[in-house]
Amino acid sequence: MAEETVILRCAGLRKRFGERLAVDGVGFTIASGETYGLLGPNGAGKTTTISMVCGLLRRDEGEVIVDGRGIDVGAAAAKAAIGYVPQDLAIYPDLTARENLRFFGRLYGLGGHELATRIGEVLEVIGLSDRAGERTEQFSGGMKRRLNIGIGLLHRPRLLVLDEPTVGVDPQSRNAILASVEQLSGEGMAILYTTHYMEEAERLCDRVGIIDEGRIRAEGTRRELVALVGQRDRVRLTASGNLGAAAAAAARLDGVAEASARDGAIDLIVTEARSLLPRLLETVAEAGVLVKSVEVVEPDLEAVFLHLTGKALRD
Amino acid sequence: MLRAALLIAAKDLRQRIRDRSAIILAVIAPFALGAIFGMLLGGADAFHTRYAIADLDHGPLATAFTDQVLGSLVDAGIADVDTFDSEATATQAVRDGKASAAIVIPAGFSADVQAGRAAEMRVVGASGASVSAQIARSLVGRFADEITAVQVSLATVFELRGVPPDPAVIAEMAGRAAAVQAPIVVAETGADAREMDLRTFYAASMAILFLFFATQSGVLSLIGERRQGTLARLLAAPIPPWVVLLGKSLGGFSTGLVAMVMLIAASTLLLGARWGPPLEVGVVVVAAVVAAMGISTLVTTFARTEDQAGGWNAITAMTLAILGGSFFPLSQGPEVMASLSLVTPHAWFLRALHDLAGAQTTLLDVLPSVGVLLAMGAVTGTIGLARARGLVAGR
Repeated sequence: MAEETVILRCAGLRKRFGERLAVDGVGFTIASGETYGLLGPNGAGKTTTISMVCGLLRRDEGEVIVDGRGIDVGAAAAKAAIGYVPQDLAIYPDLTARENLRFFGRLYGLGGHELATRIGEVLEVIGLSDRAGERTEQFSGGMKRRLNIGIGLLHRPRLLVLDEPTVGVDPQSRNAILASVEQLSGEGMAILYTTHYMEEAERLCDRVGIIDEGRIRAEGTRRELVALVGQRDRVRLTASGNLGAAAAAAARLDGVAEASARDGAIDLIVTEARSLLPRLLETVAEAGVLVKSVEVVEPDLEAVFLHLTGKALRD
Repeated sequence: MLRAALLIAAKDLRQRIRDRSAIILAVIAPFALGAIFGMLLGGADAFHTRYAIADLDHGPLATAFTDQVLGSLVDAGIADVDTFDSEATATQAVRDGKASAAIVIPAGFSADVQAGRAAEMRVVGASGASVSAQIARSLVGRFADEITAVQVSLATVFELRGVPPDPAVIAEMAGRAAAVQAPIVVAETGADAREMDLRTFYAASMAILFLFFATQSGVLSLIGERRQGTLARLLAAPIPPWVVLLGKSLGGFSTGLVAMVMLIAASTLLLGARWGPPLEVGVVVVAAVVAAMGISTLVTTFARTEDQAGGWNAITAMTLAILGGSFFPLSQGPEVMASLSLVTPHAWFLRALHDLAGAQTTLLDVLPSVGVLLAMGAVTGTIGLARARGLVAGR
């Protein structure tokens, strides 16, 4: 990555809430046109990290540089380079979509013809041109999500920070949001995208940082991360019975690297799934578990997470 | 930075104006309550009655009573007086509801008094008009007392001279004494002349009470924005956190000011309230908004949720209103209430408006009240804003 293309550089971020260390030495860089994903379960430290990146939260240690300028809570001018899309729907329900955009646009210093033009462009991008005059309290959840993103885009930021933007969104709107993010990245915007959906990280992100318990456990492209798992397969047994005991029994088999039970299934990382499968089924049956279906998939980010943390993404 | 603060304030004001419940609480409720109190109690300062008089005597004392005593009531606009030829017609007027009381001066009244004989005036009151009848009895009783005093004085003079009283001299002196104007007249000046009429009093009382609900919207909306997630977006914008706080404060101030202006206009046009000279009233109102905003800001910072803040502000507003004399004139309460009221902005606001009701009052006369209101707002507001910084500090 050429130094001059780096938009975000953060290093050694640390934040403690009382006794709990929420973020512990997180650091990464994002270049222009790159989408970087922070992938981790709820409570992993994603939102705390981006709150420090956006200057919303005072950090205990570390530094954040955006477009060459240091970011902190009081660094007003430097924040202009960031477009922040919070996880909550940060829009005013008693204002129209256009009024929401106009208010935040002015807050970022836009005005006059430039603001009017940008509002029109953003409304077009988020597909709300024909509903611009309606109060947002009348909008569906997906429309609100799209407006939430549109506000972050309005001032053409160098860095767009999206905090779990598809939570609670219907599949159609979700797809539209993901397509918009892909388009923005293609236009040269640096994007920091947090999610606990493995599929979104795989689709959107050029590089992914896997975060758990406040620390980045691994970072790289999808291919680099999957390589960490090695030539292994992920096996999922949908079953009923004492799944915890069965997972523990399976973990003792040769060729089983990881095994965990959740949501009515046992997830395993194994070598040579085909040859191992008969012994595996026999073992879990002996543990009193009734297997309903078997799924064997190639390693993915879910498997990487399981491999690195010993637990599933949605735990 | 001021531009961003004004932008936030304008956005907040727009939201408040669109919020029906906020308009009801800040404008309609105080207007309605002020109107109801004014209608129920506002008539007391416009007492008026009508008397029937039957002067069957036509002597000098009867003429003195009708011309001077009753005439002064007519001149003051307190009563109208209808004259009748007989006791029967005067009494009938009372029975017909055309007069609240009839006063009958029998024939020979003046002659009896001048001769030192017993004489009487009769008062017939209408049922349901006890106040008017009581006033009529008091007037007659006082007139009789004055006549008695004159008689005693004359008897004393003749006793000291050691000569028997001459009826002709007594009659002439009694007539002259009765016709003499009272040497001391109590004019209506000072505090009484500065009283607001009750319509204005209750319009102003309800306005300052509900002003607390309007001004609380400033810091309260910070808690609301934190709940709905927009506060994070404001703090992510390229403005310092204190600008958000300033914008919220300006929003609360402008909401309170707009509510007060609407209330003053509505109560003036629809209720006939007389607030006083516009410039001076404007200064007093601005000071009251500052005081209410400071107190409601401070109270709000102790709450964790909007509901909690709303409840605490309501309790504070009602308590201060009761202590400050918003529901009854403090002059009718115990002395300790008058002293306690001085800790409330309500009392100082109403005092300033009372002062402005005087004909010769200038801005200088209300400056002490304005100063106290501003000081209250400055002290409580400074503490409140210092505490509210935690909401935007990014800990």
